Amino acid sequence: MSKTGNSLVVTDLHLQYGDNQILKGVSMTLAPGEVVALLGASGSGKTTLLRSVAGLEEPSRGRIAIGDAVLFDSAAGIDIPAEKRNLGLVFQSYALWPHKTVFDNVAYGLRLRNVPASEVGARVTQALGNLGLGALAQRLPHQLSGGQQQRVAIARALVYNPPVVLMDEPLSNLDAKLREEARAWLRELIVRLGLSALVVTHDQTEAMAMSDKILLLNYGQIEQQGTPEDMYNRPQSQFTAEFMGSNNHLPGTIAEVAQDRALLAGDGFRLWGTSRGKVAVGDKAMGIIRLERMRIAQGPGENRIPAELITAMFMGDRSEHLFKLGALRLRGYGTDARAGVDGYLELPANDLWVFAASS
Amino acid sequence: MTSRAFSVPRYAVASLTAVAVLAPVLLIFWQSFLNAPFFNPVRHLGFGSYAFIFEDPDFWTAFLNSVVIATGMAVIALPLGAALAFLLTRTDLPWQRTIEVLVLVPVFVSPMVLAFGYVVAMGPVGFYSLWAKDLFGDVPWNVYSLLSIAVIAGLTHVPHVYLYSSAALKSLGSDVEEAARIVGANPLKVALHVSLPMTMPALLYAAVLVFFLGFELFGLPLVLGDPEGHLVLATYLYKLTNKLGTPSYHLMAAVAVCIIAVTFPLVLLQRWLLKTAGKYVSVKGKATRQKTLPLGNWKWLAFLIVLLWLAFTIVVPISGIALRAFVEQWGEGIKLSEVLTLANFRQVFDQSDQVRAVINTLLIGTLGGAVAVACYAAVGLAGHRQHGAVARILDYLVLIPRAVPGLLAGLAFLWLFLFVPGLKELRNTIVSVWVAYTVVWLAYGLRLITGALLQIAPELEESARTVGAAPSRVLKDVTLPLIRFGLLASWLLVFMIFEREYSTGVYLLGQGTEVIGSMLVSLWGAGAIDQVAALSLINIGLVAIGLAVALRFGVRLHE
Repeated sequence: MSKTGNSLVVTDLHLQYGDNQILKGVSMTLAPGEVVALLGASGSGKTTLLRSVAGLEEPSRGRIAIGDAVLFDSAAGIDIPAEKRNLGLVFQSYALWPHKTVFDNVAYGLRLRNVPASEVGARVTQALGNLGLGALAQRLPHQLSGGQQQRVAIARALVYNPPVVLMDEPLSNLDAKLREEARAWLRELIVRLGLSALVVTHDQTEAMAMSDKILLLNYGQIEQQGTPEDMYNRPQSQFTAEFMGSNNHLPGTIAEVAQDRALLAGDGFRLWGTSRGKVAVGDKAMGIIRLERMRIAQGPGENRIPAELITAMFMGDRSEHLFKLGALRLRGYGTDARAGVDGYLELPANDLWVFAASS
Repeated sequence: MTSRAFSVPRYAVASLTAVAVLAPVLLIFWQSFLNAPFFNPVRHLGFGSYAFIFEDPDFWTAFLNSVVIATGMAVIALPLGAALAFLLTRTDLPWQRTIEVLVLVPVFVSPMVLAFGYVVAMGPVGFYSLWAKDLFGDVPWNVYSLLSIAVIAGLTHVPHVYLYSSAALKSLGSDVEEAARIVGANPLKVALHVSLPMTMPALLYAAVLVFFLGFELFGLPLVLGDPEGHLVLATYLYKLTNKLGTPSYHLMAAVAVCIIAVTFPLVLLQRWLLKTAGKYVSVKGKATRQKTLPLGNWKWLAFLIVLLWLAFTIVVPISGIALRAFVEQWGEGIKLSEVLTLANFRQVFDQSDQVRAVINTLLIGTLGGAVAVACYAAVGLAGHRQHGAVARILDYLVLIPRAVPGLLAGLAFLWLFLFVPGLKELRNTIVSVWVAYTVVWLAYGLRLITGALLQIAPELEESARTVGAAPSRVLKDVTLPLIRFGLLASWLLVFMIFEREYSTGVYLLGQGTEVIGSMLVSLWGAGAIDQVAALSLINIGLVAIGLAVALRFGVRLHE
């Protein structure tokens, strides 16, 4: 919790189970007071990375340190056991001890540190108060709702002031409705207490909302890292573009290249887009555009294509329209519930990213 | 499945079960309140038989011995079984896979065989005793003392505790333990503050189970307690006949009722404990890949202790039997190389009753086991997804045979087969033994079946109903095919249990009803050591075949 603490630095971390490479050289930094999200699909290694930092997995190579304190260093043969790393970890399942009361769950870490009983009482009460659990101290875990259990798990991880709090999918066990509220609440808590946190999530919205920096992992390697805005608006690879938002896909061939623009020709369309990465005339390529960047237009024009409306779906705050262009299906947002008509779709060249097809 | 069309077979199964379970027990109760065997023309009701045994000091000695042995067993088996479970599920103890299998051997080897093994291996002139004498000049142990019986019984029941605590440890999510590591608990503290309290219900259950098994103990005290005259309740009952010279069925029944008076509450207690053990399940964490706890150099000490235990509970008795089966005689001053022989086996195969015993044992395990599993499946299906009265009654009915030790159940079935018309004709066939075995192991078999049935998601059956299958079709096309592997596995386990069983057949033993187990008890009583050794080895061989097949097909050897 200390803003003056040192950065968590992970260097070239490798980990394997048998022949199965889980982490293939991951490096990252978490500065004090910063929240970093580890984002990725299942099997990307994000949870393994978190557990390696916690000391619950044994990497085969690399180094993990917080400031001067080395937690793991394969070269030096250092592997501090989990209980001596002084980190906080909020488990995906919360992992509350069912035979201990809420108070005892939270107090356990302090008692292990030989904190005097009176101080334990005061600090646990304060931690529970911080999380709005004051009245539940004497309950057993199974008497709590999912949201309350989550707060106890967080209180338990924070009470002994670890330099970094690790969170493994902290919101995934909550109902969809509750999750949005908890997200805002958790972000507020992190900001209010000035926590340094490493958060694992598979949900890009959650990652963007909660963190200062996102690390997108793909099969044990970092695909891209940056601020949420960077990741969303300036993806460097098709993988990142796909992962960070909802997209339309337009497969085609590069017909023309002009500086950072490329003309993508496909089945029934010719559109200018922004080339991401190297593309050359004749290359197979994939055009990607976020759903919300595609506009429904009234007539033909630059970078517009005719499309036939199949159906419209009312979503409450907006409508989603499904269009047909040959074999392609394109989705776009409109405000008018059922009023979409056969017409034209505008795909602004700035928002249509063109990636060379990976062979 | 609440269709009326299906309820007739269900009621039939439930009624048949009730008769099979209640008839012997009620007969025992009734007999205990008579002053003479119930088939005597002159007999009347009264408490005479109870008065007799309560005035007999031997009864109280036997009762006390039973309590001492049962307590001793629990005290020995509980910490060792729990420690073994922790070592095998959580640490980097070497040879885990092998040990996991070996641990089960004492569960499946007949206690009669084990007891005999200790006599020939560690008795006053046993192989190991004489070797020890050569080394130290004296035999440093006495396997016939009450303490030795308790120690041997305790050590051979370690697997029972191990099975329950390892199951509890395996189902305990690793995250709750990891959470303790993270907040700063070292492995020892994790074990003491998290793993142990969370598996406490299972341990308590295992403690009651071991105490209960100790109270039922028959084979071990029969063989080991004889030389010094240590009686326990079951052997006291067995020897009552010798005491009076005439079949004193009323006295035996009274002792039986006394035993049941202790064991039945224990069975109810176990049931209650098992239910409360589920309390933690709702908040149980998620099992993830677990980093095993490195023991460092301690692992060799732990490994040595486990090896010593395996040596004592498996290697010593079984090697003793194996050696004894191949020698003419054994005693001081005899050289092993001079007495090696196959004569003991020739002797076994020359005697028609012993050949029948081997054949019957094979039949009762294979064919009998299959029919028994079919019966258990029928009872299991009768209660499957039912919450009505039938299911509840069945639920309690199956507990009753569990509380009746096999020796007593065999006695009650003997009476039934002697005097009930229609059953009388089966008295001299192996069917009578099969019926007794099947009822005695009803609770065990049913647990196997319900275990398999619980694996089926209700939706699978419900969806069959909604596409138009009648309950009987659902049973035939969905339920049975899905539990096929479970049924096969149950068959294997029941095979091993039936090969191992000995006490249930003791009173039913007669021409045509010989099985190896009861034959061993009878031959032991007659002092035919050579044939006991040969038959014991054959028995171990049969169980080993079952075990090998079970392992080959990956059958889970416990629930």
